[in-house]
Amino acid sequence: MWQQVNSALSESAHRVLFNLASFLPGLVALLVAVLLLTLIGSGLAALLRRVLVAVKFDERLSRNQAAAAISNIQEWSPAHSPTVLVTRVVFWGCVLLGVIVGISAFNASYSDNSNISVFILPYLTHSVGAVILLLIGNLIARFLSRSVLIGAVNARLQYARFLSLGVKWLVLVLTAAMVLDHLQIGGTVVDLAFGILFGGIVLTLSLAIGLGSRDLVSRSIEKSTTDGPVTYDPPPSPEAPRPPTPIDTLRHF
Amino acid sequence: MALTPSNVDATTDSPANAAEPAKAASIAPDTAGTLLIGLTSLPPEALEATLTNLALAFSAPTSGQSGNRNILVTTPDAGNPILTGGSFGNLRLIPYTAATPAVGALYLTAADYLNTFKVAQEHKVTACILLGPESQSLTPVSIRALASALMDPTGKAPTDLAVPRYNLGPHEGLVNSAILYPVTRTLYGAQPRYPLAIDLGLSLRMAERLAAIAQTFTAAGQNDAILWPVAEAAAANFVITEVDSGPRSLPQPASIDLNALLAQVAGSFFNDINLKASFWQRVRTIQPLREVSMLRAPAEGWPDVTPMLAAFQLAYTNLHEIWALVLPPNSLLGLKRLSQMPVTSFRMSDALWIRIVYDFVLAHRLRTINRGHLLGALTPLYLAWVASHIILAESGTAPEQHIEELATNFENDKAYLVSRWRWPDRFNP
Repeated sequence: MWQQVNSALSESAHRVLFNLASFLPGLVALLVAVLLLTLIGSGLAALLRRVLVAVKFDERLSRNQAAAAISNIQEWSPAHSPTVLVTRVVFWGCVLLGVIVGISAFNASYSDNSNISVFILPYLTHSVGAVILLLIGNLIARFLSRSVLIGAVNARLQYARFLSLGVKWLVLVLTAAMVLDHLQIGGTVVDLAFGILFGGIVLTLSLAIGLGSRDLVSRSIEKSTTDGPVTYDPPPSPEAPRPPTPIDTLRHF
Repeated sequence: MALTPSNVDATTDSPANAAEPAKAASIAPDTAGTLLIGLTSLPPEALEATLTNLALAFSAPTSGQSGNRNILVTTPDAGNPILTGGSFGNLRLIPYTAATPAVGALYLTAADYLNTFKVAQEHKVTACILLGPESQSLTPVSIRALASALMDPTGKAPTDLAVPRYNLGPHEGLVNSAILYPVTRTLYGAQPRYPLAIDLGLSLRMAERLAAIAQTFTAAGQNDAILWPVAEAAAANFVITEVDSGPRSLPQPASIDLNALLAQVAGSFFNDINLKASFWQRVRTIQPLREVSMLRAPAEGWPDVTPMLAAFQLAYTNLHEIWALVLPPNSLLGLKRLSQMPVTSFRMSDALWIRIVYDFVLAHRLRTINRGHLLGALTPLYLAWVASHIILAESGTAPEQHIEELATNFENDKAYLVSRWRWPDRFNP
């Protein structure tokens, strides 16, 4: 019996070591490919930077192209320099090429029926996708949150911060649900939880805005049903929208 | 840079066109020494009033100027019945259909400059006057003054850019007073009180320069882009003259959305500052103090500043984190003190407002935060300045005197902007 256990263990160890042995070259190939192409990329970028600086690329571009096009390029350029933009594109292009070559080498080092390859590679791809989703979701949440906050403050809404937080968490919850779904974690539980949470936030915001702005809504309906001028009653609460103020009668322009 | 007809978008209807009124056919292209007056699109009554004023302005000869000078008037309202039915002295009307339609109603836009220059080039005029929206409120005297500044008796243009100085009320043109005038004066060393004036006199080379810039915008589909003629003239080392133009009714937006309008104007202004950085960093001019008008309380009384202060207080509690990304600690401390001031003694110091404007210009350049957010966050601060300005005026200080002092202080603090522009990462308390 001990002999059989010993045999089973040694076979298992052999299989794991074999898999590891076949896994390591692929990993090394991936790292080498990424490193090598990163080096090539940085060399190319440095060379390109020197050439573009020598030919005064930025100045030529600003002289020859339309102001709008220049403005667009500069908006996307780090440090507002098209030269830097070009060199960075070249550098990151090489890095990306290295990753693609490395992953191909990594994949090629396995046979098609390898369990690790079948399991890890799709999951790795999904993980990268999930990380990108998370980053984009966070960026969008922050952007929308600020947009709503500034817009609401300029519209003089007292609940501006609450509105902004609501929008931020709506987007974050949506992002989290998408990430979990992308990673295939949780299954229907995530869908269900997301539906409840999202619906809850929307309902809360609707109630808050609806109750806070009921006067505005009623006036809006009144305005749409009557052709005459809308009369402004005194606001019943500090949350209610204001009547025309001297700010509006000032001539700013 | 010369514009050729092929690279200008505007088209003038030829006399052969059926839609062209008969008057236009009599215009010969060999009208050297003529003055072109470009009008923006106007309603029929306003167009008639403007043409009447123009006819009065150029009807009789005045000292040093011929009353029989050729005056061409272009208008995009080609189908207006007034143009065919009315008679307006010695004016020669040139209606045209603009291929680059102007969509802006508040300012002279890129399309206006381009269309006018196209006509000026075709008719070989010496100088142009561009009259903006609601030009019927300009008096014949002020139009004449603009023309006189632009053309001397010999027919030459002694100045490249004639900018009117309107006689506006103390609570009109406030964005101009708070930001555009002091910053333009500081950065470009140019005196005009209204850098974004909606009526301008242009020499042909100035018109050409502006048309070339306008074309870059119209080619990108931005017909309503705002141009900054004073900055352009200063950067080109052209002669700028300011002309007293008396009262003038300025067009107001149909919908009151201060946030959007301020973002549009300030965004364009900050962009232009960014484009001309290499020029204005070298300018070291300090303008002499000009004579200011006496305090003139508005007929309807001073506006109530409470809502503006409430808007600022609300913004202070909500936008503090966003301001902290743009403003240094010293300015934030100033804003904190400001938020705690009672209404009666509310006063935003010039130093604080200057630093706010400069730091927003820098943040716009560095893209510290999204530019739309940045300009949105400026609105409540601007309202606080307006409130402070009105309170100061109510207390007896002449508004013009305050604005002149503010402009001088802007000039004195220019080193801060230049220094932070060059070394934005330096420690800034």
